[in-house]
Parts: sequence; C-alpha cells; structure tokens
Amino acid sequence: MDLVQLAAGKTFSSSAVFLLLTVLLLAAARRVSTAIILFSLQSAIITAQVMATAYTEKSAEAWVVAAMVFALKVVAIPSALLWLVERLKSPRAIQPSISSAKAVFVAALMILLSYTVVQPYARESRVPEDALAAAVALILTGAFLMVSQRKAIMQIVGLLVLENGIFLAALTTTFGMPLVIEIGVFFDLLMGIFIMGVFAFRIRDTFEHLDVTKLRRLRG
Amino acid sequence: MTMLIHFLQALMIVFGAPLLRGVVSKMKARIQRRQGASIWRPYADLGKLFRKEDLVPPLASPVFRAAPRGVFCATTVAVLLIPVFRPAALLGGPGDFVLLVSLLALARFCLVLGGMDGGGAFGGMGGSREALVSALAEAPFLLGLTAVSILARSTQLARIVDWTLRQNFFDISAVHILALSTLAMVAIAETGRIPVDNPTTHLELTMIHEAMVLEHSGPSLAFLEWANSVKLGLIMSLLIGLFFPWGMAAEPSLLAIALAVAAYLVKMLALALILALVESSIAKMRMYAVPDFLGVASATGVLAVVFTVFGGR
Repeated sequence: MDLVQLAAGKTFSSSAVFLLLTVLLLAAARRVSTAIILFSLQSAIITAQVMATAYTEKSAEAWVVAAMVFALKVVAIPSALLWLVERLKSPRAIQPSISSAKAVFVAALMILLSYTVVQPYARESRVPEDALAAAVALILTGAFLMVSQRKAIMQIVGLLVLENGIFLAALTTTFGMPLVIEIGVFFDLLMGIFIMGVFAFRIRDTFEHLDVTKLRRLRG
Repeated sequence: MTMLIHFLQALMIVFGAPLLRGVVSKMKARIQRRQGASIWRPYADLGKLFRKEDLVPPLASPVFRAAPRGVFCATTVAVLLIPVFRPAALLGGPGDFVLLVSLLALARFCLVLGGMDGGGAFGGMGGSREALVSALAEAPFLLGLTAVSILARSTQLARIVDWTLRQNFFDISAVHILALSTLAMVAIAETGRIPVDNPTTHLELTMIHEAMVLEHSGPSLAFLEWANSVKLGLIMSLLIGLFFPWGMAAEPSLLAIALAVAAYLVKMLALALILALVESSIAKMRMYAVPDFLGVASATGVLAVVFTVFGGR
C-alpha cells in the first residue's frame, strides 16, 4: 500500500517533466499524425496525474474525471482527428511557418517563462511548482502552435493542447473542478472539435487545401 | 587491480567495437526480414584490409597516410576517459568532458584533412559536410554534458557517473531527460547514422563519412573503419554511463565486476536494438534539414542547462 502511495506521489512530480518533453516534441513535429499521437500521449500523462490525485485525495469524482479524460482525450478525439486527416487526403507534412529548430527554441523560452512566472505564486501557496509551470507552458505553447502552423488541423491540435493546459492548471491549484463543470467542459470540447472538423471539410471543399494563410485573400 | 580493470574496460570498447557494429547490422537485417551478414563480419573485413596494400594517390602528401592513424589514436585515447564497468576510468583523474569532446574533434579534424588530401572531388565535399555537421553538433554536445556536470558538481565523467549511480532511479529530473534527448540527437550526428548520414550508402547526394574515406585503401581504410566503430561504441557507452549507470560496480570486487560486465552487455544490446529500430523506421534527412535537427538539439541543450537553476532535481 505504501508503494502505491509513493508511486502516486512520484507520478505527480515527475509527469510534469514528461509533459514538457511532449511540448518540445510537438513544436518539432513534422507530420500531422505525429502531432496527434503526441497529443494523445500528453493526455495519457494527464490521465495518470488525475488518477494520482484521485488516489491521494480519495475522491470518487476524480476517478470519473480520469475515466472521461482517458475516453475522450486519449482515445476518442485523437482517433477522430486521425480519421479526419485520412479523409481530408491532404499532404502529411505540416509546413510550419517557422523551422522546427526555431519553434523548439520558442517553446523552450515559453517553458522558462512559465517557470519564472509561476515561481513566486507557487512559493506562497502550497502548489507543486513543476505541475503548475507545466500547465502554464502547455497554455502558452498551445497558443503558439495555433499561430505558427498553417494547417487547419494543426490549429485544432494547438487548441486541444491549450485546453489540456487549462485543465492541468485547475487540477494542480484546486485538485480538480466539480464534476458537473468538468462534464460541461468536456461536452464543450467535443462540440468544438465536431464543429472544427466540419469546418475543415468545408475549407477543403471550397479552397481545395487546408492552408489558412491563403484564406486572407478573401477579405474585402 | 583497479588499473587493470580500467585498462580492460578501454580494451573491451576498442576490440569489441567491430562486434557491436556487426550486431547492429545483423539486427537491422533481421528487422528488415533479411538474413544479414554474420556478426563477426567486421573483424573479417578489418583483417582483409590490414593484409592489403596501402594505395596512395600520386598527388597526395604524407598527411594522407598519417591522417587515418591520427583518427584512430585520438579516438582510442578518448575511450580511456569513459567509465564502463566502474565509475572510474584510466584518464578519469586528469581528463574531463571537455577533453573528451576535443579529442573527438581532433579525430574529426584528422579525418577531414585525410579526405581533402586525397585530391578527389568527393573528399573535399565530404570534408565540408562533415565540418558543417560537427560544428553544429559540438555546441549541443557540450551543453548536454555541461547540464549533467552542473548537477553532479564535477566536470570529470567518472565523478558524474558516480553521482548518478548514487541517485534513485525514480527521481526523474527534467535536466536528465532534456540532456538525454540532446545527447541522443548529438550521438546520431556524431556517429554518422541514419537520419543524419547513412553508413552503408555511396550515393553522391547524401554521403558524408563515406565520401571522405573513398580514396583510402588497405590499412588506412581499416584504421578509419575501426575508429568509426570505436566511436560508436564510445558514444553508446557514454550514454549508458551518464544516464543508466545502475549496475556498475561501486567497489572493485570480482563478483561486482562480473555483474557490472553482464549489466553493461545487456544495456548495450538494448541500445543497439533501439538504434537498429530507429535506423529501420526513419528515412534519411535531406542534407539541408540536418542543421534544423541539430538546432532542435541545441534548444533542448540550452533548456537542460537553464533547468539546473530550478532546484536542480
């Protein structure tokens, strides 16, 4: 029993490190499918974190949330996105607007920024610094992925990463929101992905590509 | 006794390196559903080359024949710095990781000189490519090693390994993961494996290492090939020592050493399998994508060094 307790504690402290690694890999990813699988991996790490919280806090609600995160973010959304990529038949390469080395540098700077921002707050309240910094880093890099990528699908992935960050921030500061709110957020997310998926099809059908930088010509 | 062990561990890398290469190519062949050559094949190749005549192009200077020997000597001396069975090495006292990196750089300098002295067009081309890759790989190499040396509060590889050995395996630190990913990318570039360079191709567009050794023959070529496999063994042992040293013999007793040898062989086989899997599943990069790849390594290296500030562990 002690061993499980120890494992739960270790999961919470060390998973932040792996989250940062997935962020860096996402910035360096060259293919849409790689990015989607990385997102799935990231969600799996967050699921482990929710389970660790559920175990240490002994709350049944958190187990339900963990099951929902797993079903939705690790399995359902990534497979839906992969199916979308397959159906859209767009080229597999990402075509980012900046090179992957620069993207990783920017992501690294964002991680450092989130650590420096979080440090004074984490020192006063007794919140694990690593996890909170990872949450802020996820929010920042999610936003960065959305602005630096050209493909519509990659912007969906960026939004999902951002949402993961918000979820993690809620988890680390308040040990999770009430179950009703979580369910609402998940439903919102599912609807959002659904609408964005439909939109991706519409963009492809109208313009025969998914490059959002070319959408500017429509103005006026 | 300890001196003997330190000497033996260096000898094992130098003389086991061709076997390692044979094992990796056998694994690659099996993964690709081919029979593959015997794992002892590199020794037969070296033996054949050592018996052959050393042909020198008419315009080449004495540098042409001296360069391969220089490459081999620099690489072998670098091996003396690597802790393998024990957290100590023959040159562990006076030498630190900067010496290791500079010895590898010296080896590469000799290699480029030898390639250019042959007078062929490919030698110069391969030399300039090698210089580009090594110049870009050196910064992340030093950054990754600096990060772990800050944690261990020592620049000597043996002390770093000794420090890591005393840590708990489950206390995963961000610095270690970042440094490991940096050094793994550097290792691929340094040893000239896929996706940076392909050691089995002679395609003009892509070859780096093979272009430089194209003019060499006989014993010179044997020294170059041998040095190349020694370098692969050296860098793999370095990664094992820095990041997975558990199982090394803390005290020089016979039983502990035997266990350390067994653990080292298992870890080496696992790493060879990973290398074979990566090489079989990834396509070679375009030459122009290599700076980008090493830029990613530099970014994670910088992050690893800066992360040592945040509490260390």
